[in-house]
Amino acid sequence: MKLNPLFKMAVMASAVASAVFMHSAAQAQRGASEDRPSTPTPRLADGTVDLGGDGVWSLPWITNFAVRMDGYQEGDLPPMLPWTQAMWEYNKNNNVKYDPEGFCLPPGGPRSMGTPYPAEIIQDGDRIVIIFEGGGHVWREIHMDGRPHPEDPNPTYFGHSTGYWEGDTLIVDTVGFNEKTWIDFGGYMHTDQLHTVERFSRPDKETLHYEAVIDDPGAYSEPWTVSWNIRWSEGQELADYICQENNKFLLDMTDDFGQPFFDKTAGL
Amino acid sequence: MKTKLIALAAGILGAIVSLQSAAHHSFAAEFDGNVSVHVTGTVIKVDWTNPHTYIFVEVENDEGDYEEWAFEMGSPNGLMRRGWTRNTLEIGTEVIVTGTRARDGSFKGNVQTVVIADTCQRLFAGTSQRDFDEGSAAKEDCEL
Repeated sequence: MKLNPLFKMAVMASAVASAVFMHSAAQAQRGASEDRPSTPTPRLADGTVDLGGDGVWSLPWITNFAVRMDGYQEGDLPPMLPWTQAMWEYNKNNNVKYDPEGFCLPPGGPRSMGTPYPAEIIQDGDRIVIIFEGGGHVWREIHMDGRPHPEDPNPTYFGHSTGYWEGDTLIVDTVGFNEKTWIDFGGYMHTDQLHTVERFSRPDKETLHYEAVIDDPGAYSEPWTVSWNIRWSEGQELADYICQENNKFLLDMTDDFGQPFFDKTAGL
Repeated sequence: MKTKLIALAAGILGAIVSLQSAAHHSFAAEFDGNVSVHVTGTVIKVDWTNPHTYIFVEVENDEGDYEEWAFEMGSPNGLMRRGWTRNTLEIGTEVIVTGTRARDGSFKGNVQTVVIADTCQRLFAGTSQRDFDEGSAAKEDCEL
């Protein structure tokens, strides 16, 4: 029996849709071994793991980084300092209204790997560049030439990243973050003392395993680690995402007292 | 046949992540999930832009007056990956829209479903709300 492919697609899509929506975390956990075919890790000519190919990484939406901590149980929270906890509660109570991503500002740090638009990892000799569709069409650069971090880095959204391979795992060390981003969508804050150590590996062609240590003594009493799997989408491409072009949410934003968030200006 | 099925599955699995693509800002900051909206009207404008596609629908209310509703959908990137183009909803199309209302009580909503009235075809809305029953077979009077 020949089924209309659109109908088939719709049936399959709706069959899994609610499960996917319920827990993006659960989706991110599913590896190639469970219900999809897996193919061997692709490699470059010199044997290095190929983190790219003809496709994109379909980044999941991680709305609460706590859920991605190892051994997470319902209600667990990162080891927040009191001010971080107070800010998180404030953010939660106003429905994360002031999320910098809502202002079309980039999701610096590990959040860039948990913002649900595709990304590509481009290995270019002594540097690796990750290009993101989401967070507004942004990129980050990882220096692979052995250079140290600057003594006094200029604080930026994505920080200063240096990386090296340890076997088949890419390890990336980043400092020099500014304080204009949140750790995650749910409102965990960080300071410019943030230091991340990320690990990227590709156990099979279809899976990118991502792990990040969040080490910020200005906001957390100890480092904490999050991880998730990211799915490869063969044949797909990145699209434009110019967040700033029609951000109506921002224009209508009100402050905590119900007043327009931005002063209206006339004729500038 | 097997390759086709795998390709189909891969396409769906790739597309599934885009179901969550309404991540630009918090839905709850702008819309009240407890106040539902259900209107039938005519498409008068489509903003095919990021971070959100907007469709503007002219609705005749019970008093015979016309209201102009603005409905927020997901990013056009997510919609495109589910078959939309910027021309999918033509001006003048009659649509049935369900969603939730803006907290400020204005004629603004976040879309749950968009249904073409003539064909009862349900379109993918790309928002973070539930009700992904898109593609379901047409029913009498486009029952939702």
